[in-house]
Amino acid sequence: MPLLPSLYNIAFWLCRHATDAEDLVQETFLKALRGFGTFETGTNFKAWIFRILRNTYLTSKSGLAAKRTVALEDELNESGESGPSQYPEAAVDWQTPEMNLIQLADQAALQEAMEKLPAPLLEVILLCDVEGMKYKEIAMVLGIPIGTVMSRIARARASIRRALKGEWEPSREIRL
Amino acid sequence: MTDHLSATTLSALADGELAAEQLETTNQHLAECPSCTSNALQSSLLKSAMGKTGQRFAPTHEFQARVARQIKGGLPLQEVSRLVDSRSSNRGSLLYSWTAAAAVLFVSIGIILVQHNWNRSATASVEFAALATEACDQHIATLASNASPEVISSDRHTVKPWFQGKLPFSFNLPDNLPNGTILDGANLTYIHGLPAAQLLYSIGKHRVSVYLEQATGDGLPRNSKSSDLSIDHSGFHVFSFKTSDLDGIAVSDVDPARLSDLATMIARAQN
Repeated sequence: MPLLPSLYNIAFWLCRHATDAEDLVQETFLKALRGFGTFETGTNFKAWIFRILRNTYLTSKSGLAAKRTVALEDELNESGESGPSQYPEAAVDWQTPEMNLIQLADQAALQEAMEKLPAPLLEVILLCDVEGMKYKEIAMVLGIPIGTVMSRIARARASIRRALKGEWEPSREIRL
Repeated sequence: MTDHLSATTLSALADGELAAEQLETTNQHLAECPSCTSNALQSSLLKSAMGKTGQRFAPTHEFQARVARQIKGGLPLQEVSRLVDSRSSNRGSLLYSWTAAAAVLFVSIGIILVQHNWNRSATASVEFAALATEACDQHIATLASNASPEVISSDRHTVKPWFQGKLPFSFNLPDNLPNGTILDGANLTYIHGLPAAQLLYSIGKHRVSVYLEQATGDGLPRNSKSSDLSIDHSGFHVFSFKTSDLDGIAVSDVDPARLSDLATMIARAQN
């Protein structure tokens, strides 16, 4: 089954539960079959089916729970503008490359940091870094402007770095 | 150095998403700013590490088989049973219940039969569209990179043996190629998670990728009556073919007839 492993991996990350992930993927495939007439040949099939997965997730129990959260800072930047100024550049005060290399090698710590990401940040990172999608494709899957994709990816990585440094800030709420 | 690169810019740099102008400006800055260079390196490392860490959960074989059965077989049987049960449970008369159940079952089977053919062709189309997307993406990536093929040779007796021990199957390459077609080399690759040979050809100035993988039954739509399928995807022609042991897919922007000739020749060489 093409894309099934990828869809399942993302589904599991989002649902955090094997049965829920299976249900989500199963429903996604059924919806894809039913709605295949709406797929335009020659367009991006992968983005199309991931969008179905994501929309199905949003209406699932775990998706609805994640959707209830709202984030003030993301709201400020959701107008469609890229808004890079939100991240004062010099504020990227990271550790030495050597330290970071050591931390990145600790896969368990990275896993834990990813698990703590709120769903909106986790999903952009999974689509970008795991699925290798371009920003345009991610914007298509999530139905958000490219600027928002960019800012979420930057925020997700900043959160991961903070977590690896032991400075995790747990409740930055963001709207899906 | 007062204006360091933003986190967004560093991320976009790691993701290869900066426009040419932005990239030039960024590179100029990086050449003068050790701090941002270090941060850019960390962004790339973080991206790579998260890519590996994020690839974590795999579906069980049972689940994969279940999904395959469901989408290939129309409505699940449990759905029919559930439908029958829910109708019959609220009836006082047992006879009435059975009559209602039989009627529902009859209607359901009718719907399933009508949908069955549509589902089969829709499933085949979905599978082929996904496969075409992946094959096109890989072909474009090959064109975009200036990397040489893993095995560079126009000699089929060099290319075929190179795959020994690298693939769980073997294949033949045709003795003669259509006019103007040259074998450039090959790569070992993966198509929807399965090892495959990417054979690289040139037809004039057009580049062609032909992917060969072991027939699995869940790759190309083997249950379709027509063994060969073709589609246009992102400006490329995609042509698939099947032999008794192999699935093949050819991608190129060359004239479809010439692509089909090459694919057919490769398919025939397997017999």
